[in-house]
Amino acid sequence: MNKTQTNSIGFSLSSDRVSVIILLIPALIFCTIFIFIPAFWAIVGSFYSYGMTSLNDWKWVGFDNYIKASQDEFFWIALKNNFIIVFASIVLQVGVGTILAAILDRGIKYGKVIFRTIIFTPMVISSVAVSIIWLLIYDPNFGILNNILIAIGLPTPSMGWLGDPDISIWMIMIVAGWQNTGFMMVLILAGLQGVSKEVYDAAEIDGATGVKAFWYITLPMIRNIIIVAILITTIGAFKVFEFVYVLTQGGPSNATQVLGTYIYLQAFNLLHMGYANALSVVLLVIALILGWFQLKASRRA
Amino acid sequence: MSKFKLANIFAYGFVTLFSIYVLLPIIVMILTTFKTRREIFLEPLGLPGQFNFSSFEKALSIGLGGFIFNSFLVSLFSVILIVIIAGMAAYVLARIDFRINRYVYLLIVAGFAIPPAAVLVPLYVTVSNLGLLNSIYGVVMPLTAFGIPFTVILFYAFFLDFPREVEEAATIDGCSKMQIFFRIIIPLSGPAIASAAIFQTVWIWNEFLLALIMLTSDEVKTLPLGLMKLRGEWSSDWPSIMAGLTIAILPVLIVFLIFQKYFVRSLAGLGK
Repeated sequence: MNKTQTNSIGFSLSSDRVSVIILLIPALIFCTIFIFIPAFWAIVGSFYSYGMTSLNDWKWVGFDNYIKASQDEFFWIALKNNFIIVFASIVLQVGVGTILAAILDRGIKYGKVIFRTIIFTPMVISSVAVSIIWLLIYDPNFGILNNILIAIGLPTPSMGWLGDPDISIWMIMIVAGWQNTGFMMVLILAGLQGVSKEVYDAAEIDGATGVKAFWYITLPMIRNIIIVAILITTIGAFKVFEFVYVLTQGGPSNATQVLGTYIYLQAFNLLHMGYANALSVVLLVIALILGWFQLKASRRA
Repeated sequence: MSKFKLANIFAYGFVTLFSIYVLLPIIVMILTTFKTRREIFLEPLGLPGQFNFSSFEKALSIGLGGFIFNSFLVSLFSVILIVIIAGMAAYVLARIDFRINRYVYLLIVAGFAIPPAAVLVPLYVTVSNLGLLNSIYGVVMPLTAFGIPFTVILFYAFFLDFPREVEEAATIDGCSKMQIFFRIIIPLSGPAIASAAIFQTVWIWNEFLLALIMLTSDEVKTLPLGLMKLRGEWSSDWPSIMAGLTIAILPVLIVFLIFQKYFVRSLAGLGK
C-alpha cells in the first residue's frame, strides 16, 4: 500500500525507508542498551549468585533466588506495601484529584488559576526535598505536627510518626499525596475542560445539576482519562523509591520497605546481586502487566 | 438557594483546605531557614525572631552550587537528546505507514512501564562496562533512555492532530521524510517540544535512584544527592538544611510559574 502511494508521486521508496530507519534507530538503540538488554540480563542474572566484587564470577543457582524470595518475610512486606500504596494512591490522589478538578472546573467562580497553581506546585519539587521537609514536620522534637497536637492537648505517637510500624506507611502516603494529587487534578481537569457546555445545558434541562450532573454525565464522559490517571498512579506506585528511602530507609524494622528500596538494599548494601535480580524480575513482570493495560487503555481512548 | 450556598461553601472550603495542606510545608521550609537552632528547639511553632541569612551562606559553602551545576548539565544534555530522539521516532509512528511500527509502539509502551529498579543491577553493570560510572554521562545516557518512551507517547498524540496538508505539499515539492521532519515538523511543534522539555527537565532535575548508584564522588553529584549529603552531615541543623532546600527548589519553582501553561497542555495530551 505504502509502495504504490509513494511511487505514484514519483518518490523513491528506498530513500524513504532509509530516512524512516534513521529516524527510528536512535530511540531503539537507547532503549535497547539501557532498558531491554538490562531487563534480559536481570532475568538471566536472577538464576545466578554473584556480588559486586565478583560481577563476572557468576554461580548458577537455578531457582534458588526465587525460592529465597518466597520465604523472605521482607520481600512479602515490600510487595504488600506496594499494593497498599497503589490502592491508597488511587483513593487519595486520583479520588481527591477528581474532586478538586471538578470543583475547579465548574464548582467555583473565583481564584481558579491561583488554586490550580498552588495545588500543582508540589509536582515540580524534588521528592528528596519534599521528603526532607516532611522529616522536619514529623520530627518528634522540632516538628510542627507534634507541637500542634500537644498545643491543643491531643496525644502523639510515642515512637514518633515514622518510628511506629503501624502508621509509618500511612505517613509516607501523606507525603506522596502531597506531591502527586495536584498532578492528577490537572490531568483530570484537562479532560473536564474538553466536555462541551452543551452537555451541561442538556443535563440541566433534564434536571441534573451540580454533583448529580457530575456523577451521571461528566464522569462517564471522562472515563478514559480516569483510567489513564489510575494507570499512571499504579505504575508510579511501583516506582516509589525516594519517599521511603529518605523518610524511613524502609524501617522501622523493614515495615515500610517497598520493592524499589528492597532491591536497592539487596544489590548495593548487601551485595546480593543475583537475589536483587530475582526481585527485579518480580517488579518487571508487574510492570509489563501494567504496560499491557496501558496499551489497552490508549487504544480505547 | 440555601442548598446552592452550602455546595459553594463546601467547594471553596475543600480547595482552600487542600491549598493549606500544600502550602504549609513550603511555609515551614522558608520560616525554618530564617530561624536559629535555638528558636527551632524552644518554639517550633513560633516565627523567626529576626531574618538571618547565615544559614544560606552555610548551605552554599558546602558546595550546593556545584551540585546545582551538575544537575543543570545532566538535565540539559538529557532533555536535548530525549526531545530530538523521541520526536523523530514519534513522527515515524504517527505519520509513516511502516510495517514494524506496531511492534515499535509495543516496545515503547513496554519501555514506559519498566522502572529503573526493575533493571537496576544490569543497568549498573552496563554503565560500569561503558566506563561511565562517576561521570555525568553515566546518568545522562540511562535517563535519556528512560525519558524517551514517555516523550514518544506525548509527541505521538501531538503529531496525530497535526494537519497533513503541509507535509503533503512538501512531499510533492520533493522533500524527503528527513527534510520534512527537520524543516517543517520541528519548527511547527513549538508547544509540544516545550511541554515535553519542561516535563522531562522537572523529572531529570529531581531524579534520585540512578544518580544514587552511578555517582559516588562529590564532584559529579546532582542536586538530590547533594540534598541528602546536607541532611546527612547536619542531621539536626534544620535551618541550614532548609536553606539548602530553598536554594534547590526556588529555580525550578520560578521556571514552573513562568511556563505552567505548557505543563498543563502537555498533560492534556496524556489522556489520548
